[in-house]
Amino acid sequence: MDSSDRPESGNSRRSFLLSSGGWLTGAWIASQWPAIAAAAHHAEAMPADLSPTHFQLLTTTDAADVEAICAQIVPSGATPGAREAHAVYFVDKSLSTYFASMAPDYRLGLTEFQTKFRAVEPVKAFAAVDASSQEAFLKTADRTPFFETTRFLTVLGMFSSPKYGGNYQGSGWKLMGFVDQHAFAPPFGYYDAQYQGFVPYSQEHA
Amino acid sequence: MPKRVFKPSETVDFVIVGSGAAGGVIARELSQAGFSVVVLEQGPRLGPGDFEHDELKYSYQSGITNDPAQCPQTFRVDAGEVAKQPALGNSLVYARIVGGSSNHFTANFWRFHENDFHERSLLGAMAGTGFADWPITYQELEPYYTKVEWEVGVSGLADSSPFDPPRTKPYPMPPLPVKSSGVLLERGGRKLGLHPFPAPMAIASQPYRGRPGCGHCGFCIGYGCEFMAKSSTLYTMIPEAEATGRCEIRPHSYVYQVALDKRGRTTGVHYFDLHKRDQFQKAKAVVVSANGAETARLLLNSSNDHFPQGLANSSGLVGKYLMFNQGSGVHAQFEHELNEYKSVQVTRIIHDFYEADPKRGFYGGGGIDARMGGQPLGWALAGGGELPRWGAQYKERLEAFPRSMLAAGHCTSLAMASNNVSIDPTLKDAWGIPAIRVTYKDHPDDLAMATFLQDRCVEIMQAAGAQKTYRAAQRLARGGVHLLGTCRMGNDPATSVVDKYHRTHDVRNLFLCDGSSFVTSGRGQPTMTIQALAFRAADHIGQFARRGEI
Repeated sequence: MDSSDRPESGNSRRSFLLSSGGWLTGAWIASQWPAIAAAAHHAEAMPADLSPTHFQLLTTTDAADVEAICAQIVPSGATPGAREAHAVYFVDKSLSTYFASMAPDYRLGLTEFQTKFRAVEPVKAFAAVDASSQEAFLKTADRTPFFETTRFLTVLGMFSSPKYGGNYQGSGWKLMGFVDQHAFAPPFGYYDAQYQGFVPYSQEHA
Repeated sequence: MPKRVFKPSETVDFVIVGSGAAGGVIARELSQAGFSVVVLEQGPRLGPGDFEHDELKYSYQSGITNDPAQCPQTFRVDAGEVAKQPALGNSLVYARIVGGSSNHFTANFWRFHENDFHERSLLGAMAGTGFADWPITYQELEPYYTKVEWEVGVSGLADSSPFDPPRTKPYPMPPLPVKSSGVLLERGGRKLGLHPFPAPMAIASQPYRGRPGCGHCGFCIGYGCEFMAKSSTLYTMIPEAEATGRCEIRPHSYVYQVALDKRGRTTGVHYFDLHKRDQFQKAKAVVVSANGAETARLLLNSSNDHFPQGLANSSGLVGKYLMFNQGSGVHAQFEHELNEYKSVQVTRIIHDFYEADPKRGFYGGGGIDARMGGQPLGWALAGGGELPRWGAQYKERLEAFPRSMLAAGHCTSLAMASNNVSIDPTLKDAWGIPAIRVTYKDHPDDLAMATFLQDRCVEIMQAAGAQKTYRAAQRLARGGVHLLGTCRMGNDPATSVVDKYHRTHDVRNLFLCDGSSFVTSGRGQPTMTIQALAFRAADHIGQFARRGEI
């Protein structure tokens, strides 16, 4: 395992968030909850259609790189991906507000990512190379806290309740085929719609 | 009728610690029998209007469960390690609100089978374990299983499983409508010669005893029910207890010590109220139903001159024999939509592998159920093992959400004294009370049985026509929601904490009844048996009280 696989290579500041991987950040969310809940109440204030000039934390260049990473996590194609879901705006918005304590580590992680990429591709930014080159590079850099956090925020940005400012126009849930409804009635899916009823087992099976 | 309120200085007949699956039942039974009862619940009282469909809040921010920020715990695999606080959540998790974990359970309600009560006699001793028979038989508990089904409310189909234990009455409600996951489990199972059958669930399938039937909202496991269809004690036993005019439910009342007088009798309990003021509720007798984690902790924290190693702990077994039930899962993807995010977790189960079979080469038995693989956020956050984390394959898996299900195995955990709840030497909670330290390592047979069930799940899903299957990662348990065994029942005071009527061997007017009472773990889904034990305990405790034998 080379040094690029170590979670905080070169970074002596250890945030338990960044060291524990994307899906282990629940404890961190718990500690930030009052800020997150408050932000949810103000989510309606978030403009429906953000343009790059509205980035609060990320520079235009940085935002392009982060957007490209998000787009590798949930690619575009026949169906919308993270780009169409405006995931990068959720990343920027959340890091500027209720996830602000994550922001310094995130910037450091992003800088490390960009530095490492420059060693492979000295001229172009990550966002400027083609998708297959991005994918190839990410396979060497997808175990860092920076990547895990980007993945985590991309997922939250696409699939958490819209009240938290993501899931743009419900596009995330639509991608997953999840219908947000208070109640349902049977039949629920294809297979139970065809079900003929439970046939009891005969006595000889007992 | 206005709700009855007692003063802490009033000596009530019974104080019950905990308002969950067991506490709620015992409160209702004793108050209906004519006794005055105060139930002290550490958490708040929520209602249907408080329960929301918010994954981020309930799954990733404690929601209604014991929050490590106030109620921390430590965990270690064995006594050779220093126990540490887990990075995420607590090790032993329960719903910390009125109604306890009966608010947020899956609602799988399986009766124990007859052999569950005497496997030790059947199979022989197992070296290095506390494998033992129960001091009661299935026959003794059967009338109380019936009470749970009819009075708490369980839907199901009697005689649909050739493996079911004998019963005296059918279920009061028909099974919930089958889901696609259930149809597919049944299809695959029947093809292999197995006997899938409708899952007994503590969820009303139709209006029952003043509650509506299930609305199939899908936010079931891990959430309180806003329809009141889930048969939580919050909606069943507790209102009926209050309706007697003899029972007070007192939330935000965190019991931290059980008192003992010079005669060796308990006189009541110390607790902190909502404002962290120290209070004392006087009672003639105390029943602790605080769940398998907190009941043991309370006794260990109540040590005194008479009981230096913990109240009622002359056996040294308080906290020991912690069991979780092991389990395993197989995600399966199919051609058409299942939409498992709708409706309840489980509609079909398989008990063909319930009994232990020495020919397998290890102890254990279990059941298999068909369920959803998670709600959107949980689904999308999952990754690792056989599951892709990003890229085209990950997106494919996201889009396969409606075509997916989980076949889950649930099995036994062996009782071992080295698996236990103890008191952490340094960590204290937000009230300054010493915290729980968990020591746990699965017995190899527990893991072997979980893997055995996982193998069967793969076969069943493939027989059902799955396009793809993914085995969920098999891990050593580092915690759980089935909190069992820590104050076990038994006839011998040297090898048990409570007798067959849930009376502690050491303190005549102290009773314990919840998951801590279990001698063996069963095959998962303990709440059904916890509530049957609670009905039976209340029956006998009431009789003792009437005869002046407490």
